[in-house]
Amino acid sequence: MNYFASDNERAPSGVAPSTTDGLSLLGKRARESKFWNEYTETLPRDQLDALHLQRLQAMVDYAYQRSPFYRKKFDACGLKPGDIQSLEDFKRKVPITDKSEFIELQLEAPPYGPTLALPSEFVAHHCETSGTTGKPLAIPYTAYDTVRYGESWVYGYWGLGIRPSDTFYFAFGWGNFAGFWSAYWGARRLGCRVISGGGLDTKGHIQAIMRMRPTVLISTPTFALRMAAVGAEMGIDLAQSSIKYTYHAGEPGPTALPAMRAAIEKAWGAKSGELLGIAEIDAMAPGCPNGDGVHVNEMNVFAWSMNPDTGAEVAEGEVGENIVTTYSNTAQPLLNYRSHDLVRHRMSCSCGRTWVKLDGSVLGRSDFMMTVRGTNVYQTAVENLIGEMPEVSNSYELVLTNEDGNDVMTIRFEPSTAFADKTELWSDIEKRLSDHIHEGLHVRLRATAVAPGSMPRYELKTKRIVDQRPKQFRRALDR
Amino acid sequence: MKRETYIASIAEARAKLQELLQDCDSPQIETMLRNADMELHWALWNLGVTVPLRPEEEYGRSAQRAGK
Repeated sequence: MNYFASDNERAPSGVAPSTTDGLSLLGKRARESKFWNEYTETLPRDQLDALHLQRLQAMVDYAYQRSPFYRKKFDACGLKPGDIQSLEDFKRKVPITDKSEFIELQLEAPPYGPTLALPSEFVAHHCETSGTTGKPLAIPYTAYDTVRYGESWVYGYWGLGIRPSDTFYFAFGWGNFAGFWSAYWGARRLGCRVISGGGLDTKGHIQAIMRMRPTVLISTPTFALRMAAVGAEMGIDLAQSSIKYTYHAGEPGPTALPAMRAAIEKAWGAKSGELLGIAEIDAMAPGCPNGDGVHVNEMNVFAWSMNPDTGAEVAEGEVGENIVTTYSNTAQPLLNYRSHDLVRHRMSCSCGRTWVKLDGSVLGRSDFMMTVRGTNVYQTAVENLIGEMPEVSNSYELVLTNEDGNDVMTIRFEPSTAFADKTELWSDIEKRLSDHIHEGLHVRLRATAVAPGSMPRYELKTKRIVDQRPKQFRRALDR
Repeated sequence: MKRETYIASIAEARAKLQELLQDCDSPQIETMLRNADMELHWALWNLGVTVPLRPEEEYGRSAQRAGK
């Protein structure tokens, strides 16, 4: 079987295959546009801000009228919808919210508790995300929300050069993960062909790509590298495949890590893009065509940057925590929501977009979150689960390494006193700890027992995270 | 065509759709009309028009005006 497409066999991007009979999904003028929506993507800042104010006022009113959660929260601080007369009012008066509040309320009355703003028949799609306590956050979307959410991806697709004539391959087991469902909603919106890799293993994905000749790969960035490595073992050079674009989300990718971009683009012979999304918010920041950051989709999200220690707004160019309000999740509104992403806002970009740019995407986290195999892993969640294992002492550390481009987390621990000299039981404890973490967080971490007394002791704050990854595989603030 | 012309024409189309929605007795056709209106609402949103967050908020007002 000839797995390799020659260059002239690749479907040319931006050219409809059916031009000979006059049929195409977009007209000539629209097809030649540099932007998905030039009007809004280049709207001057004063007009964007005026639009935000009107929409935020509507959002506050909507949340107050429809969400029992927000009604109670606003009443508790004496806020009425009419109180918001400026963007400053919105930033200062609307209480900051956090994922943990929503999770607690959802646990009391599953699945959504008082956070739902619409009758349940409006909920057309359900996703979940990991939480700081290891309990998932349930995310409802209306059908309209999925359209709005998917649209965010299209700005990035279009900017990279992807057109309706392209074919997407999703190298992903779908599950309840919002990231790739929304990428699919975006591909549908753009009008592209979609091929789902579903539950195939890595070799199966590679064979499917070689057989069906898609032009766009959607995957986590580390899985793109993993596929390239497995392809090489199979004698297949994926740089010679039909793939012309790779697009990523779920963990730091080609925008946050230039070394990652170089590795993926070389391995696939393709142009790589990245989107910053927050499952419960939106696919909120599609990649800048310049490749050095992402632009907040200001039609779907209002974002500002806060000093996480003081709560004060930080100036343009300074690092702060991204605080976001979504217009696209109308089932479960989220206003002034802590993303815990540390970012640097810029208000201009040479690409021509006026939407806020986040230099280098996410530079770090304010809440000790790491991403392992595309799953967000919170230090607190891991520590809570370790604490539930009486066989494990309080002397442990979480060691981060990188293998073949994949972040790996290993729990190094000293067994508790009762098991200190029963070395024959240590491998069983390792397995049970790994299983316990897997059961709680749905991600497999390695566990390694070490001799009691061999781990470092700290007088002040215990250092739990040991980051042994090469610098090029760490976010800017983690280096 | 100017942006203002698009906005006016889309608003006009939505008004027509809302008339049809108010008297619709077919779940299939009503669903289709609602989907069409949702797309037009989204088009207005992305033309930078201030519209309510969801089109249903306007249906309520139209229905009240029509005495339904």
